[in-house]
Amino acid sequence: MCALLDLAADALALDGCDAVEVGLTRSDVALTRFADSRVHQNVARVDGEARLRVVVDGSRVGVAVTNSLDHAAIRRAAEQARDIARVSKPDPQYAGMPSGEQAYSAAGRDDGDTAGCSAADRAGLVSRILAELPAGVLGAGYVETGRVERAIANSFGLTGSHAGTHVGASVLASSDVGGEDSTGHAEGGASALSGLDVSRLGARAARKVELGRRPREVEPGRWSVVLEPAATEVLVQFLDYLAFGGKNFNDGRSALCGRLGDQVCSERVTIVDDALSPLLPGVPFDAEGTPKRRVPFIETGVAVAVGHDRSTAAVAGTRSTGHALPPPNPHGPMPAHIIMEAGSTGLDGLVEGCERGLYITRFHYTNVVHPLRTSITGMTRDGTFLISGGRIVGGVRNLRFTQSILDALRHVEDVGRDVEMASDAFFGAAVAPAVRLTNFTFTSTTAH
Amino acid sequence: MDPIELAQPLAQLSAGALESLSGLPGVQYADVRAVREETESVNVRDERVEGVERGTSQGVGIRVLVDGSWGFAATADCQPRALRSTAVLARDIARASTAVQADHRVQLDDTPPAEGQYITPYERDPLEVPLAEKVDHLLAATAAAREAPGLSWVEASTDSWRRQTSFRSTQGACVDQIVVQVGGGLEAYAVGGGEAQRRCYPNSFRGQFSSGGWESMLALDLTGHALGCATEAVALLDAPDLPFREDAVLLLGSSQLALQVHESIGHATELDRIMGMERAFAGTSFVRVADQGTLRYGSGLVSVTADATTPGALGTFGYDDEGVPAHSSPIIADGMLVGFLTNRETAAAIGQCSNGTARADSWGTIPLVRMNNVSLHPGEDDDVGLEELVADTTDGVLLETNFSWSIDDRRDNFQFGCEVAYDIRNGQRGRLYRNGTYAGRCLDFWRSCDALGGRGDWTVWGVPNCGKGQPGQVARVAHGAPTGRFRATVGVR
Repeated sequence: MCALLDLAADALALDGCDAVEVGLTRSDVALTRFADSRVHQNVARVDGEARLRVVVDGSRVGVAVTNSLDHAAIRRAAEQARDIARVSKPDPQYAGMPSGEQAYSAAGRDDGDTAGCSAADRAGLVSRILAELPAGVLGAGYVETGRVERAIANSFGLTGSHAGTHVGASVLASSDVGGEDSTGHAEGGASALSGLDVSRLGARAARKVELGRRPREVEPGRWSVVLEPAATEVLVQFLDYLAFGGKNFNDGRSALCGRLGDQVCSERVTIVDDALSPLLPGVPFDAEGTPKRRVPFIETGVAVAVGHDRSTAAVAGTRSTGHALPPPNPHGPMPAHIIMEAGSTGLDGLVEGCERGLYITRFHYTNVVHPLRTSITGMTRDGTFLISGGRIVGGVRNLRFTQSILDALRHVEDVGRDVEMASDAFFGAAVAPAVRLTNFTFTSTTAH
Repeated sequence: MDPIELAQPLAQLSAGALESLSGLPGVQYADVRAVREETESVNVRDERVEGVERGTSQGVGIRVLVDGSWGFAATADCQPRALRSTAVLARDIARASTAVQADHRVQLDDTPPAEGQYITPYERDPLEVPLAEKVDHLLAATAAAREAPGLSWVEASTDSWRRQTSFRSTQGACVDQIVVQVGGGLEAYAVGGGEAQRRCYPNSFRGQFSSGGWESMLALDLTGHALGCATEAVALLDAPDLPFREDAVLLLGSSQLALQVHESIGHATELDRIMGMERAFAGTSFVRVADQGTLRYGSGLVSVTADATTPGALGTFGYDDEGVPAHSSPIIADGMLVGFLTNRETAAAIGQCSNGTARADSWGTIPLVRMNNVSLHPGEDDDVGLEELVADTTDGVLLETNFSWSIDDRRDNFQFGCEVAYDIRNGQRGRLYRNGTYAGRCLDFWRSCDALGGRGDWTVWGVPNCGKGQPGQVARVAHGAPTGRFRATVGVR
């Protein structure tokens, strides 16, 4: 099997064009899924992608993609991209490609044990999770392992390559005996198997099932809440989607428009994008080959920047921050390695500091209500508890929240010292701590 | 290109993949899918071409049942050696699954193995339409929209797909099909005064989509509707927010009601979800297996059918990805729950046969229980449409075109946002509101239905972005719906 970058050579030599960019990916990912404490889906996929961006006549751009990683297919895709560019229109926002060798930092890990994890190994991990569940409690979730190679090259001498592994797992423990109707969830991810304790996930989920039995109903309204990292992560990911993208900012559709330099959150809140952090699987370059670096967006509550690719940076009169997504990407740049920085209080301490409130494990099916107000709505699920007198006193039925993210982050009272990687259904993984905040708005309840 | 000629290489590939399973011990059932999908996406903004992408993805997925447990492996490498190693990997994965089996053994239903071919009827293959023609078509629409004073910008797009699938199974199924799909739309934006308002035509999520040829894209007449769409986007900037109101009379436009069907009937009646297979991620359903035939889901006006044979709809095909011929299956009849969306595994578990809704989004993913065209039947009076329903409403709110959607993990508590809302007083459409939302509980909502538009008001809306499963899959499905009248809480913020 040849090195990914070797596959770019023919395409880079394409004639009749001003610029060629080749983005290459080779992936080997497997996922074991379980429900009712048995494996019911178990899959593996080996795939690839060659994404060719070709420029003619200075700014006519075409993109073609193939999943066949052989020289002939990539050459054909390059020619197809050139043909597309020739019949396209000049793009005044085409901002060129980076030239010359770039200095890329290390990112993520390429772990042999993770890359070599077999289906039998994953079944063993599932068994370890299920072993933590008591009798009568069923488990559902997944264990995923994978290795992804990426490379980028362009006709101006830029080359980069990277290989990284990842592992992710979740468990939903559930008990529905005699109307007890209790569920508990835990999730984790890392760059290597050694960074994820799946037994701990099982034990956490099991504890929540026990705590949540016979849930009571509470009234919607404004509540103090302690959000576990997976719930905090949803707020932070949606803030990224709504406010941190350079195209939204240029268009006047970001909540940070006209507010850079303003205190928009509690001073306890710092949110960065950092693909180089050991806390998550990262890649050292973006889809244009711009080197990744740590980029703060909210620093001690102050809005300081948004993320750009070369095109939106040119419009804004600044430089790319390394947040280009694969072309042609009409949606613009979006930071994809979001981290909310930790505080200093343990999870127990966050609960102890709450006289009366709700403890939230995670949110479900969150979506946007109003982009500029950063208002979103979603449901709690799988571990929602009442806090009274600084301790969890029992489970509650789930609630719908409708809430401005920036308003919520303005009311942060305390930030947890432990961060975790969690994933959202729309946006993938991010890293966040648990937080305690006040005035979180719930607008309705449900029957479970 | 001749469809038969187009299909031959894939048929050879699937036959080769099936052959690669021969002699593998322990395999009680296997199927293979060789898939080649070509796509083209064109985006313009104002007078600019923002992006053009043409893509091809091809590979083979092999699914194996060993001792009652599944294994699946897929590869983009279509050489014989890779197919054999992928078959062995699928078998080994299935064997690994048996280690965590909990005494459960997967059984398949008794669907007879199908043999046949299917190709989407079309006049003009959208992937053969010259790119310059597509670009000019979209730029004409954005130019028309830009005549609206105060418009900030307008975007237009079109997407085309041609998916060839060749399916073979160890039971003798032998199915080849080509599904061609196309669609597009406009998005007009107005920004100012702390607001950013969007108005889409014909629908949000990149427009309206169908199976068929470029002629169905032209029938949308983007240019003819562009100015009206853009004008309404600008008008929203000065409109007030929709006020909060409990138990309001609510008229939902056809496309929004289609999404309501999607979220609170389509997903809720997927049998894999009901059986808990999606519990940890997308969630379960308030519906139980025992509810079939006994649950009053909606008022007597509410009937829903899952129909993969609806002409020209986005969820129309000849065979599902288990080789089951396209079905038309009642889900709700006169308000009563009568059926589920099933595959061969889940149907067998309740003593039934699959109704052909197992679909995978590529060669590299397994078929899941998915919607096809899950449609709400129109009302009995063909002549009733939106304006007649407005005229018949004394005090209510009309909401149109989805902006956002959210529903709980049992498909019960929902909240939707729409692009526009109008007051209705004494049978007249009144003032325009922005940022309209409505919320409710599933059964309360469907049981409150007291009026539906008729056949002339009924449209099948393509939904090209239905997410489900881990690893995540995106399905292209559809829902027919008329305008409908319900009760719900509106103006939630």
